[in-house]
Amino acid sequence: MEHKLGVYICTGCGIGDAIDIEAVAKIATDDVKAALCKNHECLCSEEGHAFVQADIDGEGLDVVALAACSMREKQAELTWGDTWVERINYREQLAWCHEPNDEDTQWLAEDYIRMLGARLGVTSKPVPHIEEMSDRVLVVGGGITGMNAALFAAKAGKEVVIVEKEDALGGFLKRVHKRFPVLPPYEELEDNDIASTVEAVADHDKITVYLSSTIGKIDGAPGNFDVTVDGAGASEKVGSIVMAAGFTPYDASKLTHLGYGEVKDVVTSVELEDMASEGKLVRPSDEGDLDTVVFIQCAGSRDADHLPYCSTTCCSVSLKQTQYIADANDEAKTYVLYKDMRTPGQWETFYQQVQKQGTIFVKSEIKSVVAGDDGGAVVTIEDVLLGEDVEIECDLVVLAVGQVPACKSEQLLKLGYRQGPELPSMDAKLEVKSDDDEEAEVVDRKDEVTGGFPNSHFICFPYETRRTGIYAAGPVRQPMDIASAVDDAAGAAFKAIKSVALMSEGKSVHPRVGDMSWPDFALQRCTQCKRCTEECPFGALDEDEKGTPKPNPTRCRRCGICMGACPERIVGFADYSVQSINSMIKGIYVAEEWEEKPAVLCLVCENDAYPALDMAGTARMKYSPFVRFVTMRCLGGLNLQWIADAMAKGFDGVLLLGCKAGDDYQCHFIQGSELAQTRLSKVQETLDRLMLESERVAFHEIEIDNFGAVPGIIDDFMEKLEALGPNPFKD
Amino acid sequence: MSDAQNPEPELGEAIAEMGAETLYWCMQCGLCTGGCPWRLTDGDINKEFNARKLQHQGQLGLEGYESDNNLFACTTCGLCVARCPRDVNAIDNIRSIRMMLAEGGTVPQSYRPIVGSLTDNGNPWMETRDKRTAWIKDLDVPTYTEDTEYLLYVCCTSCYDARSQKIARAVATLLNKAGVSWGIIGEEESCCGESIRKIGQEELFTTLAEGNIELFKSKGVKKIITTSPHCLYTFANEYPELGGEFEVQHYTQLLAALIRDGKLKMDKDLDLTVAFHDPCYLGRHCDIYQDPREVLAALPGTRVMEMTRNRESSICCGGGGGRVWMETPPGERFGDLRVNDALAHDASVLVTTCPYCTIMMEASVLGLDKDEEIAVKDVAELLVDALA
Repeated sequence: MEHKLGVYICTGCGIGDAIDIEAVAKIATDDVKAALCKNHECLCSEEGHAFVQADIDGEGLDVVALAACSMREKQAELTWGDTWVERINYREQLAWCHEPNDEDTQWLAEDYIRMLGARLGVTSKPVPHIEEMSDRVLVVGGGITGMNAALFAAKAGKEVVIVEKEDALGGFLKRVHKRFPVLPPYEELEDNDIASTVEAVADHDKITVYLSSTIGKIDGAPGNFDVTVDGAGASEKVGSIVMAAGFTPYDASKLTHLGYGEVKDVVTSVELEDMASEGKLVRPSDEGDLDTVVFIQCAGSRDADHLPYCSTTCCSVSLKQTQYIADANDEAKTYVLYKDMRTPGQWETFYQQVQKQGTIFVKSEIKSVVAGDDGGAVVTIEDVLLGEDVEIECDLVVLAVGQVPACKSEQLLKLGYRQGPELPSMDAKLEVKSDDDEEAEVVDRKDEVTGGFPNSHFICFPYETRRTGIYAAGPVRQPMDIASAVDDAAGAAFKAIKSVALMSEGKSVHPRVGDMSWPDFALQRCTQCKRCTEECPFGALDEDEKGTPKPNPTRCRRCGICMGACPERIVGFADYSVQSINSMIKGIYVAEEWEEKPAVLCLVCENDAYPALDMAGTARMKYSPFVRFVTMRCLGGLNLQWIADAMAKGFDGVLLLGCKAGDDYQCHFIQGSELAQTRLSKVQETLDRLMLESERVAFHEIEIDNFGAVPGIIDDFMEKLEALGPNPFKD
Repeated sequence: MSDAQNPEPELGEAIAEMGAETLYWCMQCGLCTGGCPWRLTDGDINKEFNARKLQHQGQLGLEGYESDNNLFACTTCGLCVARCPRDVNAIDNIRSIRMMLAEGGTVPQSYRPIVGSLTDNGNPWMETRDKRTAWIKDLDVPTYTEDTEYLLYVCCTSCYDARSQKIARAVATLLNKAGVSWGIIGEEESCCGESIRKIGQEELFTTLAEGNIELFKSKGVKKIITTSPHCLYTFANEYPELGGEFEVQHYTQLLAALIRDGKLKMDKDLDLTVAFHDPCYLGRHCDIYQDPREVLAALPGTRVMEMTRNRESSICCGGGGGRVWMETPPGERFGDLRVNDALAHDASVLVTTCPYCTIMMEASVLGLDKDEEIAVKDVAELLVDALA
């Protein structure tokens, strides 16, 4: 494409002392044909900004390329209205990690200018996709989370629709007798005040509530969801959705080993709430007094046969319930049999309070729960810290049961998405089709950590689901207590509002916030292989009856995984495509063999590996200057042709730095790193065809906080390549 | 199922009512047990005594801890109390369990003559009251009158034990030298009762304490100097509840003030390297760390070494909590740890300022056959050595 390009080299922060600026400028103007190339001692200053602005106004530049600090730095300072800005990292990934005034450093600086030029030759400024949108918010579930999300959104001026399946608002809290202490010194239980929230929602004129209703169908895409409400028989247009369907208590009928269903005086913590609310704290078997009550923690939790995870609240629930027992009978003795007491935050204070009142806590393995001779139950445990068996006769056993996300057992959203009607969770199976296999390879994502919760990135990005514009909040997202659910409600409501605000300007939501590019499909060349529709982590693509993908730009997060999926290479963005990366590879100057200078291409994930490289530079760690970084939105967009081309051009090796895959993943696009490795498993054929050693291509996962390992990875790779000798395809 | 024990929570509650106020606060983390000095020894007590487990048994009202090597192993050094993240007072909890056994008539064999002697003679050393002043010998020791400023309360140990009497004599010499207005009561005094309370003899303690309080009051005592940190602790912390409010100081506190004011001066160069051992009841129990160090710093030509474990983390000599009256097998004695630590710091004198510590550590010096290399002395004794 034709551009009027201005290249600006910042000479601050040590860049000016590390390279020959004039020689770089010559490459920019002579080779890359930039309209101008200038330097400034501090581009991020007001003067620096004005310096560039003057040229944009005076010379009519349409692309400004800044050879300065990392693209992750000074983003606010280094923008000029809607002028297209490109960044070249001359600071963290050049001046700060390579020898100053060295010919190899200089060569790297010049290559980066050539690569920019090559890329600009095949890219254009993205034109945003803009459509008419609704900014109304649908809230699924009218419990404490849903009601608060609705109130937060309404307070921000948005119209809200709540769909609640029961005949009243309030959710699980309707069943709760009293709440945990919420005020210092965190010792007194609070009355359940859910009624005040119900009233606030009912009174709000921006909130429409459908009771005894469920979602019949949700069609469309963010900004334009068409919602059919069954029960109420209504249709609603909304822009975004807060999923707040809550939890169901773990099914105690599976806990017969703890006496449930077999011993009359064994109840769940939920049933005890009912008993307390009704003022019937007596033995279920004979209405006798509760003199001794045993609470069994982790009943069906942190147990591979039941729920593998901790629900975080059950310890505090039992602590609270010891107070019910004490309030009813101050002579009563309570035991809490635990695996580990987990009382985060102020609950620790409450835990201490309950201890001080004389409740006995025993770290236990439960051996049996049987009926007592005279009603009640006998609980036999191994007292782990005593190393002996102990047998406790009691009047009541309370099983502290965990939280199961409501979406695990029923269809709640019924989305009209090609990938399925509900929010995917991390334990969903992922089907990956390889280039030549007829059969799909099924990667089992049985994930004991996430337990069916619809997370998309539980480390850094709460509320995000794998469906754009749909945000999960409250215990449907992860087990939590009331205070956390209310916080969640605020967070998810905010994200729901923000997502429509961004999309209505044609901008991407998280994580490439503000990106105006979107994937273009040259459908006339599509072979209906369905790889893109299956691999898109966000379900952005639907299909027509023939299997041709139907893009939904507002569902898209711009990761480019579809680009890597497509064997026909028909998918691309205006500023990021198979060709754009190919052109950069071609733009790199590969030294001839007699020069004894290696050439290495390094494809870098922008989310983790790129910042890790920046951090290594900031720490002034040194590594080989012969590596050329090409940044990818996600390594899931990997195309093997790049590697083949690089090898044929004489590169000695290709290094791929992706983010961490797996259960404790960091991938911003869920599966990118794994997809990249799946795609890379086919690279051997390419190398065999070229008769090159497989060690010439390597993949490493970089955790963002493990930046210290990056220089070692690069230098080790260089050593291996040196041992292999130069690529015979060099000139 | 036949092996399983049945908890008796009433028993736990009874222990709590006897003073184990923090029994249920324990969350069984085990920091107490991990930090306990018994872990540093290799023997039966190390295997048997576990403060965490003992308290858990107390909570559940389970038995099986009554042996000398378990329930009576605790020296009440307070390291566990200092480390506990939940403010559990293991000393009070263990004392209360001992008390419950004592009320049921169970007293360990070693303690029976001690209890008898205290009941009959007001001292644990099986001596008569009239020998309480035998330590004086030819010293000029004033008798306390209404015109006297300080009562010097000499620990029973330093009244009766031949080795320990030297400490009392040294303190008296220093007080005279500095011109302090002081005196003793003598025969009418009874044991302070600190250690006997720790082995669960609450009633005996009360009798002893009330007797002393009445005596002190009748003599018009306002200010007391103690030779032992144990007497200091109980006078300051336990007597007030029984109506005995006195201004109490350990003698090192008074000496530090006298040295600061220039009223006491040591001129003789001792040319010694000494290691200072913080007694538990002076340090952790009464929070006095600086005064004895200040006093030692005033000794000309004396290098004072800090041992590896010092101040708040000092290790017990093994003599507290009644253990001074119970035999500890060689190889399991805490005193050995202190002597070896002092030797590792090239000290030729292990100096401390508690009669129990002196006894225990001296026994270790002999037991380790190190008496040619190191001596154990009280601060007061060193000071007297340095008087010109």
